[in-house]
Amino acid sequence: MSKDKMQSQAVQTTGHAWDGDLQEYNNPLPRWWVWTFYLTILFAILYWIWFPAWPVAKGYTPGVGKITYVDAKGVAQTTHWNTRADLMREMNGLAAIQKPFFDKVAAQPYAAIAKDPELNNFIASAGNQLFADNCATCHQAGGQGKIGFFPNLADDDWLYGGQFDKIQETVTQGRRGYMPPFGEALSTAQIDQLANYVLSLSGEKMDAAKAETGKALFHSETAGCFYCHGDDARGRQVIGAPNLTDKIWLWANVPNADAPSIKLAAVKNVIQNGLNKGVMPAWGQRLTPEQIKVLTVYVHELGGGK
Amino acid sequence: MASVSISSKEQYNFDVVRKFAIMTLVWGVVGMLAGVYIASELAWPFLNFDSPYISFGRLRPVHTGGVIFGFGGSALFATSYYVVQRTCQTRLISDALANFTFWGWQAVIVLAATSYILGFSQGREYAEMEWPIDILIEVVWIAYMIVFFGTVMRRKQPHIYVANWFYIAFILATALLHTFNNLAMPVNLFSMKSYSLFSGAQDAMTQWWYGHNAVGFFLTAAFLGMMYYFVPKQAGRPIYSYRLSIVHFWALSFLYMWVGSHHLHWTAIPDWTSTLAATFSIMLLLPSWGGMINGIMTLSGAWDKLRTDPIMRFLAVALSFYGMSTFEGPIMSLKDVNALSHYTDWTIGHVHSGALGWVAMITFGSFYHMIPKLWDTKLYSLRLVYWHFWLATIGILLYIIAMWISGIGQGVMWRTFDDFGNLKYAFAYTVEVVKPFYAMRAIGGMFFLSGVFIMVYNVWMTIGQAKREAAELDAKLAAKLARVGA
Repeated sequence: MSKDKMQSQAVQTTGHAWDGDLQEYNNPLPRWWVWTFYLTILFAILYWIWFPAWPVAKGYTPGVGKITYVDAKGVAQTTHWNTRADLMREMNGLAAIQKPFFDKVAAQPYAAIAKDPELNNFIASAGNQLFADNCATCHQAGGQGKIGFFPNLADDDWLYGGQFDKIQETVTQGRRGYMPPFGEALSTAQIDQLANYVLSLSGEKMDAAKAETGKALFHSETAGCFYCHGDDARGRQVIGAPNLTDKIWLWANVPNADAPSIKLAAVKNVIQNGLNKGVMPAWGQRLTPEQIKVLTVYVHELGGGK
Repeated sequence: MASVSISSKEQYNFDVVRKFAIMTLVWGVVGMLAGVYIASELAWPFLNFDSPYISFGRLRPVHTGGVIFGFGGSALFATSYYVVQRTCQTRLISDALANFTFWGWQAVIVLAATSYILGFSQGREYAEMEWPIDILIEVVWIAYMIVFFGTVMRRKQPHIYVANWFYIAFILATALLHTFNNLAMPVNLFSMKSYSLFSGAQDAMTQWWYGHNAVGFFLTAAFLGMMYYFVPKQAGRPIYSYRLSIVHFWALSFLYMWVGSHHLHWTAIPDWTSTLAATFSIMLLLPSWGGMINGIMTLSGAWDKLRTDPIMRFLAVALSFYGMSTFEGPIMSLKDVNALSHYTDWTIGHVHSGALGWVAMITFGSFYHMIPKLWDTKLYSLRLVYWHFWLATIGILLYIIAMWISGIGQGVMWRTFDDFGNLKYAFAYTVEVVKPFYAMRAIGGMFFLSGVFIMVYNVWMTIGQAKREAAELDAKLAAKLARVGA
């Protein structure tokens, strides 16, 4: 630093002065600055030689860098460096690693897949990614779902069945849950009685008299609840009608209600207005059969499976 | 010194400079408050309160527009009018036109911020203003050109001081960038909505030609102009090298215009444009550093002042961050580094080491020098300047360290594959990982903002003190006149 200082003092100013005391020394460009600048130019030239760089007529200088990748038909292609080929090289390379596992998944029945430890590891890896990309948006990262919106996949309760073939069907074709509104067909008192009965089914302490009347209504032609939910109120998976006797709730937010009146209101709301939002999209067009098979096993494992 | 200021008061138009200086601080508080708020929204999402008006998407341009155009823009108007008058030894050519640029520019900032909150946006980063506001900017900017260039032409000095070259480049380039990036067709005369004349890859490249040169000419060249006046003034030493200032000025101006497409690596633009952008960014490193070398070497004869003068600390640290971020930028513009850094928080950290470390710090230093001169008094408290300096420095460090960790972490996690060829980390998982660093970033911003509040208080007290001094002087003068009269 002291050398620079001496140098500065030895150097003349340009002789101009602004605003009283503003002046400029006329020091030469620092050597290292000039040489490093030249180095960056040299680097740029090397970069131009390697990559596509300068537009020429209707094309461009392609550069000497080459990329070899395997195309969709499995044929090796070599081309000058370009973004697309680089992506193909990486993606097809990864697909090649995945392929033998996907082939095995495709060839084996579910029972055999479940017993193969190596395939299980593969499914934990690929299924995790497929689930995160396609399912977690609604069913959440761990498949725990969201009350009032999306069913929990990590519990042991299944709306449409938890067997491999049922899960595969759900993923491939999607589902459309529906419950008609009873607001017009039933009186407010009747809806209240029904809600008392339904809540009492899962062990809630409710008004016994109302629940008793509600039970009769449930099994009567007036309300007709038993058609879908069954005589035992345990639901019917063929049509996605839920079991009302367990403590699992999807639409009425009973678990998070702290007062009986709130629980009652939640259930009454469902009976009154019905439900038309239980839509699960179909993934058959978006995912390959092998991917769906992987997802099926993954989801099956999440909930302990049936 | 006092006599010089009194005579310069009559000689120069400091009224418009004072107004811009005050608005710089006002917009600094507003813009940075918006920044701290949206950073907090990312860390603690309940702060959205389910209101569209304060959602991240709408408040983000309020933050960027508030700090770039409100804070930065007002600071540039203030210092450019101050510097051009003092270094040309002449008054601004028109007080009325200068006043128009003040009110016009403030209207632009208010209208832009309001329109963002109401949901209007062109969707062009840093150019979100819709077409009516764009037209107002154009008019104000032409008035600015007339005032600035006219004043330079009327100078009483044979040579144009280097700071003014940088201001000229900034004004010219901003006019060009603003005009071409905003070419758009309104849906109809009474609609805020418009569509760009460009489409697809051309549209993206026009936008980033604008976007990067806004950084280059608005946030770099113009603030170098500020540096070239206030650093030698505060250090009391001549600029280190006139030759270096010429060479780096032209190299910077020429090279910057090419680099915008480095914001679009690995997208649908032609590969050759991306290569050129990367290489011109690398070649830009040393021209950028020219300004840092000139500033640091000018300060280097006066290092002892760093112990006693907190204003010098602001200037020295600003130059250091300038050097750091202009080194980081070219590295990030290389294709392979960009593959890791792009779309991650590393970019946000890089921008803020430039914006907080360079732009804001050089502005604070320059303002602490300029404000007492504008009001013809001394700074109310140097101790508070120290406090501001440390709060700002700690704030920046917290901010960029948080963003380096979360950004590089994101970049690495997003591209990690397991043995089966599957991505190892789901996106949601990476969000969980960066969450503590989002909190750290918000806290860094709070540090920085609290420093600005201290500055506002200090400036407020300085102006109050100046008014009292002036009143005392007037009273003495009146008493004297009364005695003489008697």
